[in-house]
Amino acid sequence: MKATEIIFYVLTAITLLSASFVVTARNPVHSVLALILTFFCLTGHYVLMNAQFLAAVNIIVYAGAIMVLFLFTIMFLNLQKEDEESKTTLTKMAAVVVGGVLLVVMVAVFRAASVAPYDPATYNTRVGLVESLGMVLYKDYLLPFELASVLFLVAMVGAVMLGKREPGDRHF
Amino acid sequence: MLSLLIFIPLIGSLGVVLLPASMKSRYKWITLICCSLELLLCGAAYSAFDPTQSGYQLLERADWITLPLGSLGVVSIDYLVGVDGISLPLVLLSGVVMLVGAVSSWKIDARQKAYHALYLLLTSTVIGCFVALDFFLFFLFFEFMLLPMYFLIGLWGGPRREYASIKFFLYTLAGSVLILLVMIGLYLSVMDPVETALRVGLIQDRSEATDEVIRQVQFLLSEYKIPSNLLVHTFDLRHMAKGGNYLPDSFLSVAGEVMLMGIPSRLLAFLCVFLGFAVKLPVVPLHTWLPDAHVEAPTPVSVVLAGVLLKIGGYGFLRIGWGLFPDGAAEYALLLAGLGVLSIVYGGFNALAQVDLKKMIAYSSVSHMGFVLLGIASLTSEGINGAVYQMASHGVLSAMLFLITGVIYDRTHDRRIDHYRGLAGAMPGYTALTAIAFFASLGLPGFSGFIGELFTLMGSFQSIWLPGWMTAVATLGIILAAAYFLWTLQRMFFGTLWFRPEAAGQLTDLDGRERLMLVPLAVLALLLGIFPNLLFDLTNSTVADWIQRFSIE
Amino acid sequence: MLPIILLSVFGIVLLFLGFLKTRAVLLPAALLFILIALGAGFLEWNKSYLYFGDMLLINNLAILFSTIVLISAFMVVALSGDFLEDEMAQPAEYYAILLFSIVGAMMMIGYENLIMLFVGVEILSVSMYILTGSDKRNLRSNEAALKYFLMGSFATGFMLFGMALLYGAVGSFTLTDIKSYILLSHGRPSLLLYMGELLVLIGMLFKVSAAPFHFWTPDVYEGAPTLFTAFMSTVVKTAGFAALLQLLSVSFSAIYGFWWVILAAITALTLLAGNLTAVYQNSFKRMMAYSSISHAGYLLIGLAALGQQSRSALVFYSLAYSLATISAFGILLLVAKQHTTDGRPDESYSAFNGLSRNNPLLAFVLAVSMLSLAGIPLTAGFWGKFMLFSAAVDRGMVWILILAVLMSAVGIYYYFRVVIAMYFREGQAGRIRVAPFYQFILIAATALTIILGIVPGLFQNIM
Repeated sequence: MKATEIIFYVLTAITLLSASFVVTARNPVHSVLALILTFFCLTGHYVLMNAQFLAAVNIIVYAGAIMVLFLFTIMFLNLQKEDEESKTTLTKMAAVVVGGVLLVVMVAVFRAASVAPYDPATYNTRVGLVESLGMVLYKDYLLPFELASVLFLVAMVGAVMLGKREPGDRHF
Repeated sequence: MLSLLIFIPLIGSLGVVLLPASMKSRYKWITLICCSLELLLCGAAYSAFDPTQSGYQLLERADWITLPLGSLGVVSIDYLVGVDGISLPLVLLSGVVMLVGAVSSWKIDARQKAYHALYLLLTSTVIGCFVALDFFLFFLFFEFMLLPMYFLIGLWGGPRREYASIKFFLYTLAGSVLILLVMIGLYLSVMDPVETALRVGLIQDRSEATDEVIRQVQFLLSEYKIPSNLLVHTFDLRHMAKGGNYLPDSFLSVAGEVMLMGIPSRLLAFLCVFLGFAVKLPVVPLHTWLPDAHVEAPTPVSVVLAGVLLKIGGYGFLRIGWGLFPDGAAEYALLLAGLGVLSIVYGGFNALAQVDLKKMIAYSSVSHMGFVLLGIASLTSEGINGAVYQMASHGVLSAMLFLITGVIYDRTHDRRIDHYRGLAGAMPGYTALTAIAFFASLGLPGFSGFIGELFTLMGSFQSIWLPGWMTAVATLGIILAAAYFLWTLQRMFFGTLWFRPEAAGQLTDLDGRERLMLVPLAVLALLLGIFPNLLFDLTNSTVADWIQRFSIE
Repeated sequence: MLPIILLSVFGIVLLFLGFLKTRAVLLPAALLFILIALGAGFLEWNKSYLYFGDMLLINNLAILFSTIVLISAFMVVALSGDFLEDEMAQPAEYYAILLFSIVGAMMMIGYENLIMLFVGVEILSVSMYILTGSDKRNLRSNEAALKYFLMGSFATGFMLFGMALLYGAVGSFTLTDIKSYILLSHGRPSLLLYMGELLVLIGMLFKVSAAPFHFWTPDVYEGAPTLFTAFMSTVVKTAGFAALLQLLSVSFSAIYGFWWVILAAITALTLLAGNLTAVYQNSFKRMMAYSSISHAGYLLIGLAALGQQSRSALVFYSLAYSLATISAFGILLLVAKQHTTDGRPDESYSAFNGLSRNNPLLAFVLAVSMLSLAGIPLTAGFWGKFMLFSAAVDRGMVWILILAVLMSAVGIYYYFRVVIAMYFREGQAGRIRVAPFYQFILIAATALTIILGIVPGLFQNIM
């Protein structure tokens, strides 16, 4: 087993573990911390794939900015006390059955599926670098890239609209 | 001419809607004038009709909807109206009954505008049902008949009107859903040979379509030589009645090899159509909406309901059930006749047990319409002629009976049979007409009821499909009818005069308007009873031709 | 292409118009913008274009679907006069978000690349999340927005995962590449393809609220402000079905044998769930939510029985459904304002009691739209159902036809409850004042419903 493979498996194991901890953790702050760990591991995967630019962006945007925001929100809301919504047994059973079926199907598919292996001779090692990313983004995917700005605009307008204090609102 | 029959009331209805409320008093006049015009036009149609011919006459046709559906071919829906010997008597009947209903509506005070608009709409759809020769058009009128009827019962009815109207609506709707299913199946299975010939290029113009061309198209069809996108699917009942126009291997193809749940799909389709119209007729056990609807409906609506609407069930049997699926009719003749006999007997016994005069008459309707089903199911010339006759006769008589109930209800708002005795003393004219109506209904020779029942029973006795005992059981219906009508007569009209104190001073004899409605109906019942050929001449040649298809099967 | 650019710009213009002192200019401006976009769309009629390296395909089908979306949006905006008077409302933002969301809908209609589909779905969904929660003072609205957002994100996750798997199998996001991959694989495409298709389908079926992914629909539709419910139930549905049609007919028609069973089962489930639950509702708005589920079921018939006539049937049905739904919600908006319980508009059936007495026009409009939704002949809804059912029979799916016809009979029952309330029940409803333009929109929609019901061929000739 080569070193990269070992790193890959270790990283993947940590990713999966921390991701499941995000869901299972009782304390929301722990949950967010686990999420940050997950993002870091994903960044590791990017590096393994020789995509340094994406790795950097992932750290800055997700692990950095967004997570800080998450933490802020959670501390503001002070969700310490436990008021978990209890689900009925039927709901839990249904969820387990559906999730289990999905898992089985997925595992079966991935076992049987053949993904074309890459050919080292023709493989472009620069595929993850910022230069080729820019080429793809501003040439092939120009239209969705530009239209994604509409998406952000909508989200921004919405956030401002929903968050704006109205006359008569409670002051903090 | 037939189009005028449909559109005059429709225009009248629109007129009523558009007239301002200040002209309230004119509404009933509009209704009356429209219905009188209808009757005149019916008369004109009668004189223009040639009873020696068996096919459809007075045809009027216009292209309406042509939808190209790609590989499904083309859907063609025509505005096609015409009459034959089976529908003409019913059109005449509608003309008479709707006019009587219009006169009877004179006393409606609440929401006159809506009432008269809906009544005229109902007139138009009823006539439309009888003259439409395109299945889609028929279905349209059939569905749209529901709406005015629903409102007429639901808005102007008695205390439980909402329950009665929704029950009526749901029952009929469930029936029409079954008919809709069959309609979709039929249009996918039937092509219009003339239009298809045009599309394929065999002929250049509709007028060139000879029997030869049609045979050629049908031959090409059976050999799978017509590409599916050139096929013109049609709703034309004339084409649907001819086996050659059915696509081979289609859902309802005449070869009948398509099975659905183990039953040939054609038989299943026949049963669906039967059930759909059986609700309307009504056939026991699908009759339970009828007593409710009748009891709650105002008098004119009851008159129309019993006089005309029930006949659409019987007409639907003949035109669509038996007309398009003779194989199914032959297959299930025994079952259907059994249901007919059940209706006769069950309706009779129920009528015997009623204390409400209107409910008693409603159940007598169930019993009398059972004869129609028995006659049709017999698949004999006498039986079918008799069934059409019975429909016309029952239309006249039940209209009369419900008017009679209306007369007493208008005066005292009480219809219980045991609340009156010896009315003959107080209301002699009323008693005389009631006696005529009762005797005519129970099948006294000389009146129309006798002829209808006699012929349907003769038909069922001769039928090769039905055992003899069935007819014997059916005759029980006549005895029951005699029992309940005579008993009612005795209880309400004979003996010393007695009524509940609340009714004091209200029991006046018939006024002019009521005489105007009842006397012509009585004369008509007598006329039909003495000269049955008035109707049989109309129906005979059509039925003779129509019965052919059963002998070939 | 032009409408997408125009609407993106117009949305920003509207935001700036919001700075003006007077709000009166906003409504006409928004209407004008939509009309311009509508006209610009028809410049590309009969020309089939691929834009920006196989990103967007504009053909007649796409233009027709876009037209339906724009007409629906036009009607919804036209019925929104109330916002201008409401102190709390922020019409400039609402209209801008509506225009942006149409951009998303158009991307979903004309996409040729899965990335475009994803961005389009996101734009439309995010707009809807916001508009659902726009009634900030209403707890129901907040709850609905949150529910919609969480469930919607979950569904988007599924869709994204599916797209990734499709990319893994095919190596491209383009619909035609997926098609040629399937054709070249000699009937043995990678299993990832099947899995990917399934997950994308699940994501999309969630958006059009097909059972068993419909649980969010009643709460969200009920909680959202009525006008936005109207928008959601028409535009999102039309765009969603256009996207599904595009995906299934272009990419996956070669493996029809794989997915038709799944879709047919979902169709049956949706028809049952929508119609049977709608019967038990007491709130008109909630009934309309379930009715929208049931209509998703009818539309799904067209996909499960994918064939030549599916396209025209789906277009026709979407149009008929949108017209009827928007006029129904338009009337609800007016009626619910009349009675308030605890400060909230009354949206139950009883709010309609006796409407026909003093407001015959409104009652008639609502009655026609109910008839059309129920599929009574002589209305557009009947022909929509007729075409879809014909498509089903053409594929030999007789059982689905029977189920659908039975379910439409059930539908008539609950649609008629409101008709009964309007015409048979006594109510204290006074005369409702309706703005002339509002009235005009309602009449136009009703007239179109009836005209399409009497001469459906009129529309067919355009196709």
